[in-house]
Amino acid sequence: MRRVVITGVGVLSPLGNDMQELQEALVASKSGVVHVESWSEYKDFNTRVCGLVNWDAYKEIPRKSRRSMGRVAIMAAKTMMDAVKDAGLSEEQISNPRTGISFGSTMGSDEALFDSIGTIAKEKTFIGQNSMSFLQFMSHTVAANIAAMFKIRGRNIPACSACTSSSMAIGIGYESIKYGMSDVMFVGGSEEAHPYNAGIFEIMAATSTRYNDTPEQTPRPFDTERDGLVTAEGAGTLVLEEYEAAKARGAKIYGEIIGYATSCDGEHITTPSSAGMEQVMRLALDDAQITPDKVGYINAHATSTPKGDIAESHATYAVFGDKTPISSTKGYMGHLLGGCGVVESIIGLISLKTGLLPANKNLVKVDETCAPLDYLFEHRYGNHDIVMNNNFAFGGINTSLIFKKIEE
Amino acid sequence: MTVERVTATLKEVLIEEFEVEEDEIVSGANFFEDLDMDSLDAIDLIVMMDKKLGIDLKAEDAQKIRTIDEFIDLIMTRV
Repeated sequence: MRRVVITGVGVLSPLGNDMQELQEALVASKSGVVHVESWSEYKDFNTRVCGLVNWDAYKEIPRKSRRSMGRVAIMAAKTMMDAVKDAGLSEEQISNPRTGISFGSTMGSDEALFDSIGTIAKEKTFIGQNSMSFLQFMSHTVAANIAAMFKIRGRNIPACSACTSSSMAIGIGYESIKYGMSDVMFVGGSEEAHPYNAGIFEIMAATSTRYNDTPEQTPRPFDTERDGLVTAEGAGTLVLEEYEAAKARGAKIYGEIIGYATSCDGEHITTPSSAGMEQVMRLALDDAQITPDKVGYINAHATSTPKGDIAESHATYAVFGDKTPISSTKGYMGHLLGGCGVVESIIGLISLKTGLLPANKNLVKVDETCAPLDYLFEHRYGNHDIVMNNNFAFGGINTSLIFKKIEE
Repeated sequence: MTVERVTATLKEVLIEEFEVEEDEIVSGANFFEDLDMDSLDAIDLIVMMDKKLGIDLKAEDAQKIRTIDEFIDLIMTRV
């Protein structure tokens, strides 16, 4: 079977705008969550915290490419530029029919959607609308715009499944190469910050509202004092290549993807299912052909909601017992929604490179209804060579990815 | 409405919204060959000029314009 390795990385996150910045901010236990006073213009809307990306150099993206992008696609395009440069691929390799992409986001650009649809709905006319708004807010805006900008000629499979969008995109890229459909895949995802993203979670009583004046103290995955998730923005791109080809061209290799699975709960539209989470982890381990004890670190999805963290802890315990170090890195930056899978996978690659087992930021006392896991209260360093990244989405869609350090 | 006002508005829109360099905006300039614009840009240019000047431009007008001069002439027939 063809092996799949990662040869390029690009990231924009509330914790930093490249892999080195992200690593340093994690080690320093910084928070990317801030107080957003402008959200007070919405009535009866209580959360004021959000993880924001400090980047707006939009003109790095050429106008003709940028005009059909909202912030969600612009950030993704920037990470794609950085990842392509990092991988050192030629234009011929990028536009080869056997080079494809998979990108996703929960929504297209919320800002474009609000600007356009709000007026149309109110005034009942399409006159005055420009030609670009739809291209900015359509569901596959990230994948479509990146394909056009980078002259992608191979397969393009948008992965728009909310919080599993970018982890699913990585999985699609992995399977495309592993099973011989492509030789190179650019994969990732993105999300832009908008009060709408937070608002839909607040309707479901799932947002953090008690830490508006101390934003660095929320979210608090697995902690007794957690009060909901914190939405965030960010994007990431991974360049995936077939191992022998990458080695032959002397590419820098960040790690290998050795396992992936996606499966459904088939139960409730929003309530997390411990059985579904357990299943996807077991399927990924089967795909990697390893036993649970080989995994040295688990990056949990844990978003700091009451039910989700409990369900995930019990699913993880059922598969791994209590000996595998685990943390949710959402405590540092909030929940990047469509962007979380790829950014948390990049944190997994940092863990493989440096040995860092990042602490659960803001975890002081574990909720006693959570399963007894090896929760990381402080950073530790290990010599592990395999990490798992789990993500779960509305609709009971689950993904599990397993990365391995490449032997020198 | 004067030709001068229409010309100044068009220049402002081309620079701010379409990132055209000021020295490229000369009377004979072709939107598509000289200013790196395309048919979608032409539609959006029509929409923006319509809003700025309060005139009656339609999406199909986008198919009629080629150069800056022609576009200004078209607008002057509608004011």
